[in-house]
Amino acid sequence: MFFFPKPRVEDFEAAAMPHFPDLYRTARLLAQDSTEAEDLVQEVYLEAWKSFHRFQTGTNCRAWLFKILFHRLHHFRRRWAKAAKVEAFENSANEASLVAETPVPQKIRDEDVLQALAKVPMEFREVVLLADVQEFSYKEIAETMKLPLGTVMSRLSRGRKLLRQELAEVAGSFGISPARGPQRAGDSA
Amino acid sequence: MNVLNFNSEQCLRVRRKLDAYLSNELLVETTSEVLRHLESCEACSQELEARTRLRDALRRVAASQVPPEDLRQSIERQVRKMQPGFWGGSRRLRWALALAGVVVIVGSIATRQWITVQRGRRVVASVLAIGVSDHIQCAIKGHNYPDIANPPDKLREKLGPRYAGLLDVVQQNLPGFEVLEAHICSIPGSPRKYIHFITRGRGTILSVILTRSEGAQLPAGKSLRSGVSGSLNLYEAHLDGMNAAGFESSGYLGFVVSDLSPAITMELASGLAPPLKGVLDAGSGSEAQLDLFPVLFAPITTARW
Repeated sequence: MFFFPKPRVEDFEAAAMPHFPDLYRTARLLAQDSTEAEDLVQEVYLEAWKSFHRFQTGTNCRAWLFKILFHRLHHFRRRWAKAAKVEAFENSANEASLVAETPVPQKIRDEDVLQALAKVPMEFREVVLLADVQEFSYKEIAETMKLPLGTVMSRLSRGRKLLRQELAEVAGSFGISPARGPQRAGDSA
Repeated sequence: MNVLNFNSEQCLRVRRKLDAYLSNELLVETTSEVLRHLESCEACSQELEARTRLRDALRRVAASQVPPEDLRQSIERQVRKMQPGFWGGSRRLRWALALAGVVVIVGSIATRQWITVQRGRRVVASVLAIGVSDHIQCAIKGHNYPDIANPPDKLREKLGPRYAGLLDVVQQNLPGFEVLEAHICSIPGSPRKYIHFITRGRGTILSVILTRSEGAQLPAGKSLRSGVSGSLNLYEAHLDGMNAAGFESSGYLGFVVSDLSPAITMELASGLAPPLKGVLDAGSGSEAQLDLFPVLFAPITTARW
């Protein structure tokens, strides 16, 4: 108690609360339902407040909060559904997927995205959300998730493809035609 | 499945970089290379557009997740109720700190108390050493008493009119002892004088000594005294083979010194101290006050416990 200045709740709120919407949105898209998301976000803030004396003012509070979010998320995840077999997905990427892109519907409905996203295994979903929604850099994601940079890149690439595939399936099941991609030579009617 | 009319290795190379391009992670030169290719390649341009469309849809969906206002308020309420971090983060740490604090405080108090007691005991021993020294010098080594007790009148004469009244007090309050000698004793080389009663009983010689207490003071404190008689605190010490009991009253120090056991010495002192106090109080501030030089107080370190 003699080495740390006592944190002020006003400082904590000023630094941390502006990121509440981003944290909630990410948690909501990773948790199974809104209740779990709310529990998760609440735990993140209480944990952050407990360790606020260790937070260095002027550093990236948003990244720090997301780090706690994923730490808590992994703790939560043990109580959630079994994680998908990441290895199988990670190893399945190959050159063929580069030349055979799944089409993306011209008009994408929000509910389809939600449904498709829910089918993407958590490990990939996390990285896609951090990169594409929260716009974290690869390096920040690697630090937040405690993953090697290469793993972040491969999970992002694979996660985007999985989302795209799931979206195509969901949209197709509702009778929405995916946008037609470029044709193979000689494939035109 | 749609298959692109890939024109070359160049398409494949650009496709590999599209993820990083989309995330703005490419170097400037590589970005320029990708852009140049996209300008000339419809297929890759459409692929980028498709990926961008999906990403925008994802962002739109995320933005549509409205954070509940009551959750924010609940968090803020809880945060304000909780003690932060080091002060409240760990209940175990709080308890450990509290316990450590208590140990330090209790240890500090106990140490100070111990030091105070040790100092006090040294002071008690130093003061009682005066009586022991007087007893040894005058009664034991000096043998300044007759084998047959002097008559009381002679003793009163030796004491003088001012102190003659003390003789009866000593005689009456030392059961089993006979006063052999009573006088005012001087110490060679010292201005101090003291009233000395040399008694015999229980197979040994016992001295009752009274002297002015100026310069010497028995410490207060229950932990240092060995007993109480009337309103007087009694102290004891074992010094130079003698047991001494002492008390302080009305500016005088009184000692009972002998080689009897500590318990007997204390018992005798306990019976003698209150009546002596009565006489000393009655004489205090009057001409009857004992005209003795003050004690020249010099602490000694030969106490044995």
